[in-house]
Amino acid sequence: MEIYDTTQTTLEKAILGSSARQQAIAENLANVDTPGYQRVDVDFHKTLRDAMSSSGPGLKNATFSPQRDASATVRADGSTVDADVEAAAQARNGLEYETLVQISKARVDIIEAAMGRG
Amino acid sequence: MGLFDALDASGSALSAERVRMDVTAENLANAQSTRTANGTGPYRRKEVVLQEAGAGVGSRATFADSLHAARGVRVAGIVEDPSPSRQVYDPGHPDADAKGYVAMPNVNTVTEMTDLIGASRAYEANVTAMQTTKAMFARTLDLLK
Repeated sequence: MEIYDTTQTTLEKAILGSSARQQAIAENLANVDTPGYQRVDVDFHKTLRDAMSSSGPGLKNATFSPQRDASATVRADGSTVDADVEAAAQARNGLEYETLVQISKARVDIIEAAMGRG
Repeated sequence: MGLFDALDASGSALSAERVRMDVTAENLANAQSTRTANGTGPYRRKEVVLQEAGAGVGSRATFADSLHAARGVRVAGIVEDPSPSRQVYDPGHPDADAKGYVAMPNVNTVTEMTDLIGASRAYEANVTAMQTTKAMFARTLDLLK
């Protein structure tokens, strides 16, 4: 048995995905006044879901790539960034990240306790 | 490192928005200037052109490459507004033409104030993005405790 099980690996991947999403949101906010800019987003939930499905590439091979979001509302200047949408996405993603890290930490603490270091 | 790049992106936006605020302040300061620094014609309104920096997210083959290609926003240039200057009838003005009209700058103070508010809000949004990124960093460091 490995020390780190599938759940731990998934948590680790989700943390990576969430940090990638934060970067995408930061890019969008940085370009909030750039005419014609198309917003980007990282749908790491979908990437993880696909990776874990039976036909998927497997968790270890999951990579998170930012995608241009074509569905967003286009502003008069051609940009698709809405500062409020980004702020909401950022708040949500920040909380998600915190949750993921806390759960990871709790699980590592359990393993440490089992090792007699708790 | 993804989160460091996020800080870079937010930082580039802070400096870009600062440039916008500087240029808006200059426009407001020169709203009544009938002569430019080299003495010709009225002051012309200046505008900042922003551009997505680097090659942009998602433009490269791999995620790592695309992360390094993206660097937020950059100031592509500061251009003059080509709209015509305002003609004001003021025969006593030293810069008045034969008919008594003075060419005033094409600066509209209301437009400038709106731009100023826009730049200030965008600045705030990017500061919040930086704070969130920093908080996420701090959480990761908690893992080591």
